[in-house]
Amino acid sequence: MDVILFTLFNGLLYGMLLFMLSSGLTLIFGMMGVLNFAHASFFMLGAYFAYQISKYIGFIPALFIAPLIIAFCGAMVEKYALRRVHKFGHVAELLFTFGLFYIIEELVQMIWGKVPVGYHVPEYMDFTLFSMSGMGYQAYAMFTLVVSIAMFIVLFSVLTKTRAGLIIQAALTHPEIVSSLGHNVPKVFMLVFGLGCALAGLAGVLAGNTLGTEPSMALSLGPIVFVVIVVGGLGSLKGALVASILIGIVQTTAISLDYSINNFIELIGFSVDIESLWRILIDLTISQIAPILPYLLLVLMLIFRPRGLFGNRDV
Amino acid sequence: MLNKFFKIFLFTISLVYFSSAIKAEDTIKIAIIEPMSGPLASVGLDLIEGLEFYAERINKAGGVLGGKHIEIVPYDNAMVAEKTIQQLRKVIDEDIRYVTQGVGSNHALNIIKTLGKHNKRNPGKEVIFLNHSAVTTSFTNELCNFYHFRFDANVDMKVAALVSQMTKDPSIKKVYLLNQNYAYGQSFQAAARRLLAERAPQIEIVGDELIVPFGKILDFNPYVSKITSSGADTILTGNWGPDAARLITATANSQLKVKFYTIYAGIPAAMNSMGVKISTFNPIVQVTEAHENDPSHPDWLKEIDKEYMAFSNKSPYADRQRFMIEMFAAAVEKAGTADPTAVAWAMEGMTARGAHGDVYMRPDDHQMHFDMVLSHISTDVEKTFIYNNEDYGMAYVTDGWVDMADITLPTTCKMKRPKK
Repeated sequence: MDVILFTLFNGLLYGMLLFMLSSGLTLIFGMMGVLNFAHASFFMLGAYFAYQISKYIGFIPALFIAPLIIAFCGAMVEKYALRRVHKFGHVAELLFTFGLFYIIEELVQMIWGKVPVGYHVPEYMDFTLFSMSGMGYQAYAMFTLVVSIAMFIVLFSVLTKTRAGLIIQAALTHPEIVSSLGHNVPKVFMLVFGLGCALAGLAGVLAGNTLGTEPSMALSLGPIVFVVIVVGGLGSLKGALVASILIGIVQTTAISLDYSINNFIELIGFSVDIESLWRILIDLTISQIAPILPYLLLVLMLIFRPRGLFGNRDV
Repeated sequence: MLNKFFKIFLFTISLVYFSSAIKAEDTIKIAIIEPMSGPLASVGLDLIEGLEFYAERINKAGGVLGGKHIEIVPYDNAMVAEKTIQQLRKVIDEDIRYVTQGVGSNHALNIIKTLGKHNKRNPGKEVIFLNHSAVTTSFTNELCNFYHFRFDANVDMKVAALVSQMTKDPSIKKVYLLNQNYAYGQSFQAAARRLLAERAPQIEIVGDELIVPFGKILDFNPYVSKITSSGADTILTGNWGPDAARLITATANSQLKVKFYTIYAGIPAAMNSMGVKISTFNPIVQVTEAHENDPSHPDWLKEIDKEYMAFSNKSPYADRQRFMIEMFAAAVEKAGTADPTAVAWAMEGMTARGAHGDVYMRPDDHQMHFDMVLSHISTDVEKTFIYNNEDYGMAYVTDGWVDMADITLPTTCKMKRPKK
């Protein structure tokens, strides 16, 4: 019982972290069709801005100011650069965001140096809130969980229940009609890109202090967010949420399972006596392959259901 | 007018040419190939700065061979192993006969292999590899080479030091091994299993885990949960970078009380990333050649540390850089020439002053041997760690010393030596 409870709870915690990281990316892709390679860079900027701001005026102001600054940066990137590149098609956009990734990494190194900065959890949230099956849970982790759930609810209701959300969705599929109805479509795109970047920034503010804030954090984070949005279905916010929590639970479960194929073979009464590469393979435990399971899921998803869990178009 | 410009141009060219010619005669160049760009640039740049400082000290004291200066020539490999080879070829082309490197054993392996071929094919043009930090044990075992010298203790020696210290603490009964799944982490794991069985049979291994390395794991809670349920009182890990910082952070945040025995979890960058509260929640024990707050830290070394601090605005961390340059200078002096083969012969079996007795270059495998200090991170220290004028508010406190004899391990090296 304890194990199941821990797995579900930790899966949820980790899943919501993944969701925060990838929601902005899936939003931008879903609304604009732009696969933003620099997404993790905005995440990194969020962490660095939060570090700088919380040094002077505290963590709570940083929680609001840092994403706002990043939203502005994102909007400017869209207005003055991405919009021009857009004419030349998706490959040009992809290459542009790819370049942006390196520019941001270099800028961060120039401003904040190349060693990790000391961005830490604020002291008033740095205590153990409760314990469950021998593991203490920090108040800050719960705070992050609450913020990320709130983020999903707000985002989801804005996009599906409000007029603004309606216009955004319509602007994606029928830009000409929306613009002939008197809406400024380029401005809508600018705001969406800004919002997507702000979500990445918010994730950076919340996760930068537990994951460590350093120039290489964007690089190591890149792959997993793409897994989430592809498995969830490109452009689907609901899909990103489900995929994140699914990956969270699968990975947490897998790490706690120390069983290999060899254990299974021995269990049914056989013994294998081979000394070769196969030996390594049958001795491999599930916990060892846990980190590659999300990528395995990605491959399977692309083979059997290319549109992802909740997507409405193929990759 | 044009004529005048032409004259100035010619004059400048000749000046540059002659000055470089004079310089080349007066200096002994050591090329250093490290990352000066990319995510690990800080490590490389700090090491280059350190070497330049220690070389400058020798030069100020009169240099070697009656006035020749040691010059450090940096080359950037951007942490790409192929680039290391390219830069090494450049070093060879520019006729620099000494090369040093240390960040990343795969880079060091490339240098060892490339130089192995070069030195065999170009007698009289040999290049020596002064390895200051690449710790893969095989470099001084089956891959050993006459022209390779390692100034840091290898993984096996460092694990031996950690295990020796662990046997002195009777409260350690159950240990959990957690390492990165690549060459370095695997060799740490193998050494830990072997040495625990040999030297500390009373300690039970309750877990043995290999994880995906290099910051790919965001959530360490499942591992912490496993460690909790295994009942381990100590975690023995070779992890470095985010893999170490996140493991220690997750452990502290879930209030798990364990001891950490590590090689690199306590390096300055990691301390800053984790912050005082997490760095001191559990004892993080690490093994190094020296540290500033050690009670036996000799006075002459304190003086050098002070100079280093004034030069770089950083607390000293890697004393091996100092004894590497000092031993190199002494070897050139002893050989009476800057010819690499003669210097290599001179360096074999040589000793230099260390923080805790002499350091000794074992001739059998060209592995440096020295006493090592075990320390843990604490705020209760005389001198806190300073990095670029930023005070980290903590530093290391000595837990004990491990004698050179305790970490001297047999070697499988069968070295082929050139004629004297």
